[in-house]
Amino acid sequence: MAGLDVAFAAGSLTAVLGGSGSGKSTLGRLLAGWLLPGDGGTLTGFLELAGTRLRFTGTAADPRIDPGSWGRQVGFVPQDPSAALSTVRATVAEELAFGLENAGIDRATMAGAVRHAAALTGLTRLLNRDPATLSGGQLRRLAIGCAVIARPAVLIMDEPFASLDTDGAEDLAALVRKLVQDGTAVVILSQRADAFLHNAGTWLVLAGGTVAAAGTPAEVVAAGALELAGVVRPRPDTGPRPLAEAGFPPVVDGPPALELRDVSFTYRGTQRRGWFRAQPGPPADPVLHGLSLTVSAGEILAVTGPNGAGKSTLLRHLNGLLQPTAGSVLVRGRNIGGQPAGRVSGDVGLLFQQPRDQLFERTVEREVRFGLERGQLAADQAVRQALAAVGLEHLAGRHPAELPASQQRLLALATVLARRPPVLALDEPTVSLDGHGLAALDRVVRSTTAEGAAVVLVTHDLDYARSIAHRLVRIEAGRLLPAD
Amino acid sequence: MRLHPMTSLAAAGSTAVITTAAASWPLSLTVIAAAAGLSVAGGVARRMLPAVAVILAPLVLSLLAMHGLFFPEGTTVLVRWGPARVTVEGLHFALERAAQLSAAVLVLLLCSFTISVPDLVAALSARGVHARFAFVLASTLTLLPAISSRLGRIRQAQEARGLVIRPGIVGRAGAFRWQAVPLVLSLVEEAGTRAAALQARGFGSAGQHTSYRAVQDSPIQRWVRLVLVLAAVAAIAARLWQPTAGAS
Repeated sequence: MAGLDVAFAAGSLTAVLGGSGSGKSTLGRLLAGWLLPGDGGTLTGFLELAGTRLRFTGTAADPRIDPGSWGRQVGFVPQDPSAALSTVRATVAEELAFGLENAGIDRATMAGAVRHAAALTGLTRLLNRDPATLSGGQLRRLAIGCAVIARPAVLIMDEPFASLDTDGAEDLAALVRKLVQDGTAVVILSQRADAFLHNAGTWLVLAGGTVAAAGTPAEVVAAGALELAGVVRPRPDTGPRPLAEAGFPPVVDGPPALELRDVSFTYRGTQRRGWFRAQPGPPADPVLHGLSLTVSAGEILAVTGPNGAGKSTLLRHLNGLLQPTAGSVLVRGRNIGGQPAGRVSGDVGLLFQQPRDQLFERTVEREVRFGLERGQLAADQAVRQALAAVGLEHLAGRHPAELPASQQRLLALATVLARRPPVLALDEPTVSLDGHGLAALDRVVRSTTAEGAAVVLVTHDLDYARSIAHRLVRIEAGRLLPAD
Repeated sequence: MRLHPMTSLAAAGSTAVITTAAASWPLSLTVIAAAAGLSVAGGVARRMLPAVAVILAPLVLSLLAMHGLFFPEGTTVLVRWGPARVTVEGLHFALERAAQLSAAVLVLLLCSFTISVPDLVAALSARGVHARFAFVLASTLTLLPAISSRLGRIRQAQEARGLVIRPGIVGRAGAFRWQAVPLVLSLVEEAGTRAAALQARGFGSAGQHTSYRAVQDSPIQRWVRLVLVLAAVAAIAARLWQPTAGAS
């Protein structure tokens, strides 16, 4: 980062927008005391908080930040909310109180603060739950609760809206409005200029670690700075749009690329292991109810639906990671029931929802190569082509964990493409992709289907689904409904 | 009423001390029976059994092998193989020691399986024990589930890319070599992020820490703890005073 000059006033909402790798997360962690000056880098310039100005010259004589007392004034919610939790507290209430305990606050005051933070974030009914048993949306609310419980003057949130469905996003928007009203300076880091962010007083557009544009949302949009910086601008909601290619011509010769016959699925066991004891989990209701579905070669099918409807569970059936309780899954006419997922993987490539769950190797190149035939020229070529298809060929030697979120997602996509599977199953492919990443995804999906692959993609983004799919289905509470 | 974790600890500790000091058959067997009964009543018997087997089997077997076969004072010989001879007195001594040891191990295991670690952590930090120590103690419970879920995620990612894992525990164990390095690296990486989060939430601050979790205690329990500790001290004193008492 260089030449940054930013200020956040009390009771204001600021959006820091920028593409992947623009320095948003680094700025957020630096402002929040998660990245301390001198830790693996040097900081020059000054930070001013609550009237105290700290000057940094990049030398050993620089002031030292005490992250604990800094954190009481500046709350931070990281991109992955579970990273903010202590993991050693048995209930949501105790996790909320963790920061107050460390500040030596007495119990009566803590109890009041926990009640207030829980009411603010809608966690009141979950106070006695083990944090390990919370869903993704609940975890994000808990991380926000932990950040605001000490009533910090500044709250910084990194991509808080990513992967939230409409209801979740509305709840979060209401919470942000309330905090701003109460005088908190709220800073939202995002690579999408979502509709809610148009309420922000200021937009800062970051590119290459510097402020590329700043001003009110209208000024920044007018200057055209978003597209250049790789910020995603959702299209204005103009009601249902026609599908990309209405009426996909069915291929008659040969079996369909993918067929589901009456697939039902119920998770085994009603007990869910929490951090501290086995907790009675949600009752073992079927997650999928008698789903039947056919996808032809060259077809793009989009599955939409709210969070928790069973979308990801459905995708995990396509490559055998989950086996249906009843019914069968056929890939190119062959029943994959009872086969280990490793054998199906040549036919069906699955992009996981979280790149963190998909990437495990030491370098980008090794990551894509995993599972391909070793030491063969064909494998080298497949790795190169897959990386080139997503535009990461220049990063082959980097560690996957060092890449920004959008490039991690593209890398995960490359690992799927390298095997050239005839069926691609993509779980929320647009989440955490910036503008350039979305363009790469679009290219990949269109070119692989043109070569005859079938694509099933699951998304909560109806607009994206309509822009790319030949056919749309909706899944709600585990049942398939025709879209619209 | 729930037992205060310190009361459980005091009860288990003093029972182990007294049983060891007394070295009496009937007492050891009573304690073993009581610990077994309490573990069944508390619903932890099934989880406790593997730990009991792992700890006690080698100890009891070695006691039997040592004293059962080589007991110089033994006179009633049952079997003889060269220098080794099985005597009634040797077997008696070995079984007695085994019972004594089993009683102590069982009560301590019962305590560790039934005690509420969050309560213990809260009770310890209320007594001024360093927050870092309390964190390590609490981590003992959260670490294993965290590692196994991370391992499961890595395994699924690899299966989705062509690693064939046969179903069942043998297949998974065989495939573990593919997951070991990614597992360790990802845990190290996560530890770095977690450290920043803990620091920012004031975990490293030097001042007084408080505890949100209230652990129930009562005057009766305080008295019981005192009596238990005194009883343990008395048992040790009696044993030192009269070294042969109880050892028939």
